[in-house]
Amino acid sequence: MQLRPQIQIQTIIKAMMEDVIPALDQTNQLAMQSAQLTIGTLMLISQHLPLEYRYDCDELARLLASAETLQAQAKGIAKTRDTLTKLTAASHAGADVLRRARAEPGEIVEAVRELRAATAEAVSAVYAEGDEAAQSAVEKTVLSMSKEQLLRDRSWLLMQGWEPDPKSVPAIETLLAPIAKS
Amino acid sequence: MQFIDKDKPSPQWIAATRKQFQVEREIDRALTCKMEKRSSPPYTKLPLAALVKGVTALIGSQLKTPFEISDAKWLAGGASKLQMAFKLHWDRPGVGRDITRMVLRNDLAEALHATSRLREFQVVRALDGVIPTPPVFWVDNVGEHLPYPGIVYGFVSGITKPSDAKSGVTGLGTYMPEEVRKKLAPQFVAHMAQLHTFDFRSADLSAFDVPKPGTQNAEWAVNWWDRVWAEDSDEQVPLVALASSWLHKNAPAVEHLSIVHGDFRTGNYLFDEADCRITTWLDWELARIGDRHQDLAWSTSHAFSVPAEDGKTLLVSGLMPESEFLEAYEKTSGLKVDRKALHWYQVFNAYSMIAMTLATSYRVAHNGKSHQDILLAWLLGVGYMLLDEMLGLIEKGA
Repeated sequence: MQLRPQIQIQTIIKAMMEDVIPALDQTNQLAMQSAQLTIGTLMLISQHLPLEYRYDCDELARLLASAETLQAQAKGIAKTRDTLTKLTAASHAGADVLRRARAEPGEIVEAVRELRAATAEAVSAVYAEGDEAAQSAVEKTVLSMSKEQLLRDRSWLLMQGWEPDPKSVPAIETLLAPIAKS
Repeated sequence: MQFIDKDKPSPQWIAATRKQFQVEREIDRALTCKMEKRSSPPYTKLPLAALVKGVTALIGSQLKTPFEISDAKWLAGGASKLQMAFKLHWDRPGVGRDITRMVLRNDLAEALHATSRLREFQVVRALDGVIPTPPVFWVDNVGEHLPYPGIVYGFVSGITKPSDAKSGVTGLGTYMPEEVRKKLAPQFVAHMAQLHTFDFRSADLSAFDVPKPGTQNAEWAVNWWDRVWAEDSDEQVPLVALASSWLHKNAPAVEHLSIVHGDFRTGNYLFDEADCRITTWLDWELARIGDRHQDLAWSTSHAFSVPAEDGKTLLVSGLMPESEFLEAYEKTSGLKVDRKALHWYQVFNAYSMIAMTLATSYRVAHNGKSHQDILLAWLLGVGYMLLDEMLGLIEKGA
């Protein structure tokens, strides 16, 4: 998917700064302040987005380490038993999540892009060098794979209003496979 | 995989790309110029005064008598051009002292397509009296006088849609009421027929290359957008690679060469709201000497279609059902519609629009090269609907 928040935020900020703010009534303090805060917030989101996942994993790892220390330190204190039971359960759940959180979102996007490029190159190579049967087989594979992906791409962008028959496109939530738990 | 920095392309990579994709000379010049300037700073908003200064210099280089420019103001110019309206007080040849309303169409640092103002100038001048076109006065093809290349037209009045009509960005999906459609549709067909039957060989079209009989025309067309995809795309799309190979493999031979507008659709003509007479055809920058089926296929693209009141019948360019349109075209032009060629050009047009939206829109917005990056980023989204349309067309077979 080429249309991602990074480029959207970048272009919104530019439009706000070059077109919207200069057109505002400069004496309207509330409007001017809101516009500046809109830009500031977007800049903040832009800075946070690529790091958000790593930020949360980093905190989770630190919390798990300190939970382990806390359990040792609070062990034997009678009134902490229930609390420690809860802490243990939360630690187990947190450790499971962290164990499964191996690749960063950026790595997944990069892997998708690498595979897209390699697939495209392979398709061109088959058309350049392969016989009729190989070309026909590759055509079927690419069309079938693209059909599934495009359904998701179009659903992802349904709100933009490009679809001639939007009702024929299922909601994105129903199309995405759940993340495997193990 | 070798990383190529398309935001700062090396001279070697530019040269290799030029060699790989053979296109017409003037298109090669425009695309090469785009790539050579790519690493230059982002577009910064030009003050109106800069355009006035530039257009004064351009006109001054052409006129020997005193002139004056007044009433300069911005016009909405869409996603690919800056437009300024102004009045020229001058000694108009054959008229005498005159005040002429004019429009400057000026390029941006980069836009939805890198094209040639000289080609636009020549084709519009050649078609004077053939179909409604704006008067064209002067051209600055390389930005010698203007901040970027530009062209000066005479002002033509008219509207692109009824004042109470709804449409999407850049005129896509314009709904025309039935009484308006009835008046516009026959003109739409007639103008296309007149364009495609015009004898271009007697006109000065030196910035255009005439393809040899056979498939050279189609090959040049695909190479153009192959090259744009190579130069501008960020994320690869396997279906695009398949489409390019499919287009080269099945390229049709052209049996009758015509001037092709390249963007022949509702949104690119002006009409008089009172009598619905088309006053002019605009946006000639994609024009080429090629196969009429390119325009026929473009007009019938779903991207420019609008459902009729029944919610089912798709209207070509918001004007008439496809079968009606093609039948009327054949009758008016005397030229046959070859369904196989039409199908190939439908795939080709989807391919070119995908290159413009998914590749160029992204690259221009990413590098901040236009005055409407936010519009280009928004337009990027239509690429997926176009990919789906292209997939369905390829599935139907060659």
